[in-house]
Amino acid sequence: MRVTKGAKIVAGTALLALAVAACGGGASDSGGTAAGGGDTTPVRMEIGEPQELLNPLNTTETEGSEVLAAIFEPLVEYDENKQPVEAAAESITTTDSKVWTIKLKSGYTWQDGTAVTAADYARSWNYGANQENAMGASAFFSRIDGYADVHPGEGKTPTSKEMKGLKVVDDLTLEVTLAAPFSQFKTMLGYTAFYPLPASAIGPDGQVTQAYGEQPIGQGLFKMDKPYKKGTDTTVDLTVYDKYPGTKPKNWTKLQFKVYTSSETAFNDLQAENLDIHDSLPPSTIATAKSTFGDRYHDEPDAAVGYIGVPLRYNPEFDNPEIRKAISLAIDRKTIAETVFSGTRAPADDFINPAIPGYRQGACTACTYNPAEAKSLYEKANGPKTIELGYNADGGHKEWIEAVANNLRSNLGINVNPKPFEKFQGILDALDAKEYKGLFRMGWSIDYPSAENYLTPIFGTGSIGTGSNYGGYSNKEFDDLVAKGDQALDAAEGLKLYQQADDILVKDLPYIPVYFYRSNFAYSTKVKNVTLNLLNQVNWSQIEKA
Amino acid sequence: MSNPTPPVGPGLPEAPALVTDTVTAPAPPRHGKKAKSGKPASLWTDAWYDLRRRPMFILSVIIILVLLVMSFWPSLFTAIDPFNARTCDLATARQAPSAGHLFGRDNLGCDVYAKTIYGARNSIVIGVFTTLITTLVGGLLGIVAGYFSGAVDAVSSRLTEIFFAIPPILGALLIAATFRGRANSILLVIIALAVLGWPMTFRIMRAAVITAKNQDFVVAAKALGASAGRIMFRHLLPNSLAPVIVVATINLGVFIAAEAALSFLGVGVQSPDISWGLMISDARDRFLEAPLPLVFPAVFLSITVLAFIMMGDAVRDALDPKLR
Repeated sequence: MRVTKGAKIVAGTALLALAVAACGGGASDSGGTAAGGGDTTPVRMEIGEPQELLNPLNTTETEGSEVLAAIFEPLVEYDENKQPVEAAAESITTTDSKVWTIKLKSGYTWQDGTAVTAADYARSWNYGANQENAMGASAFFSRIDGYADVHPGEGKTPTSKEMKGLKVVDDLTLEVTLAAPFSQFKTMLGYTAFYPLPASAIGPDGQVTQAYGEQPIGQGLFKMDKPYKKGTDTTVDLTVYDKYPGTKPKNWTKLQFKVYTSSETAFNDLQAENLDIHDSLPPSTIATAKSTFGDRYHDEPDAAVGYIGVPLRYNPEFDNPEIRKAISLAIDRKTIAETVFSGTRAPADDFINPAIPGYRQGACTACTYNPAEAKSLYEKANGPKTIELGYNADGGHKEWIEAVANNLRSNLGINVNPKPFEKFQGILDALDAKEYKGLFRMGWSIDYPSAENYLTPIFGTGSIGTGSNYGGYSNKEFDDLVAKGDQALDAAEGLKLYQQADDILVKDLPYIPVYFYRSNFAYSTKVKNVTLNLLNQVNWSQIEKA
Repeated sequence: MSNPTPPVGPGLPEAPALVTDTVTAPAPPRHGKKAKSGKPASLWTDAWYDLRRRPMFILSVIIILVLLVMSFWPSLFTAIDPFNARTCDLATARQAPSAGHLFGRDNLGCDVYAKTIYGARNSIVIGVFTTLITTLVGGLLGIVAGYFSGAVDAVSSRLTEIFFAIPPILGALLIAATFRGRANSILLVIIALAVLGWPMTFRIMRAAVITAKNQDFVVAAKALGASAGRIMFRHLLPNSLAPVIVVATINLGVFIAAEAALSFLGVGVQSPDISWGLMISDARDRFLEAPLPLVFPAVFLSITVLAFIMMGDAVRDALDPKLR
């Protein structure tokens, strides 16, 4: 459930970004004083300010997830073939995709010394799913049997505090029963929301405490040195946890996340060696990054997708799929990717990203550039003469939206008015309030590497209102195919069904895919072996200090 | 025109005791000014005579005339219509200047020269209308407050001080950002700047009126039974206008710069409209890679603002005899 905000950095308004960026230089040099053995200067990594307190159950955006991923060990990680492999879990098995047995590895301890048990997982998942706790990631538990009892929907009160699908068999075994078979459940378990919380996280009032949110105790590689006060602190400081049973970094122990409001400022710091890793380089810095960082600059496929969203639920003007197809054909994706994004994006040609199994090159036939056909289609379908194009002004979207607007103006001969909103949420609110009926920019960053993640949460009928189906697309045939894919026992069979569902999207174009993200990161001369995993999080244990 | 001091110097002892006005006397202009024969030089003719000989004034007038022509008939300067999306070609983004595209192309492959020329209109329109509004509102309130003094003056002066206390750019930002999208963006900028710009004109007008209203001709007009309106607009206004005109001219330049600042911050003129501030803002991120799309509108902006401020300075020098 991660809607990308753009260049990852989320700032209030353009003005605020300016103001804070202007004074960012002074406050940033606070690292390098920690005591202890080995090399004590920290490895410094760029992040934007996390939106919420550091609670895995309430973190659905990339910045908080980045920090939490250092503190917690997920049940599964992903190998080079994008397949889930057990991490904190010993084994995850099922015979029917409905009842899953999760056996935990022994040896994992909470960073306060106590052992991690299956009950910890059950407790935190129940907490996260409970409607009354209003956790942002609650929808991730919706496939577990009994979710409806703890999360009956707006206006109703939960009838239970525990999901009947969660059963603690013994200290290290958890049995999860799903409401319906879901073949991708194991893949899903690598997501932030499935990290466990220790018993101590929950205060006497039954809620996760403020103190825990500022200094979460995990069972992963790093332990936080001190609480992180959101809004005032500019760094999150961590140290390797002694009793972590997995692989530890070879020659360093301190990690520091530096909070930036502008990715340009962070890039300047990286050039000055005041920062070691920057993983959200803005397009304007790419040319410089390529030439000055050489092989310390990396460009890899990223699983996120950028779209132009269509407000199907709000504006009948776009009901005719031919109109959407004409708009899609009028967008010159290749040139936009090359010039506006300086190659930091790739032109989209499917609803599923190439980083994930299930992608088919050229699957979206309407994602090619064909101005002549676009114009005749648009005229035949009698599309609207004036289109608004909404975007959030805080994520570096203006330029590509303007480029798309120019494409539509010149290729379809219509008026296009780009409309900036202060934040992404503003577009959604305006759509809901029926104050805004235009197209909108939309992005999707995956929660877990499965083709299914590009379908259900964004286009499923069930995701209208509760999930991220902001356009309000609803197609029974599509829903059925995805459901069938979920229930398939064989992964290949499931994938085929997801691809058939994808074919329906390609035909209907509820959103218009424009580009696939690529991750661009660069690092200083002080570190080497920097790699990112499929969720765009740094593989800390592999990094070495140079 | 009775003059208490004899116009003749001490070197003419035989001069008649009573000097009569001689129409035929080819008296050389004493203050280096030429007055039309028979008529005394008024402040305005004096000023005009003075201005015509100032190179700074001539230069600024030429620049302003060119800008005015540019904003009314931009097609005289360029054959490219920047509002036509077909003239942009994304594939040529950030291209260096060439024969067909004197200033090169911007981040979206649009012609920078054509956009810069068309950008003049919004700057001029915003500058002129904001100045008109602030001068009318501030001037009118200033006369009334200065003439009536007492409670009217106290209330309006306190009101002005409240507006003075708001930092202009911050206040304009607030207004523009709050109402963004609900009105035409150009209108919104004019309103935002005018709301915060009128107090300065008010103060100057008020001060000038207070000085003027104690002079004999006003007392005489009052004695003759002239109404308040007649005194204010027939006698006080012409005699207090000079400083207001100076401030208005200088402010015109200041408002143009403020518009660019607002557009740069994203709350001023909005695309697809064109403004120099917007162009500067759009080109900012890629400045190191392609500086020209930022430099050209910035140069035009500076020259425009400079022209108005230079003209204001020249007019002030000409109108203020004390500085001569």
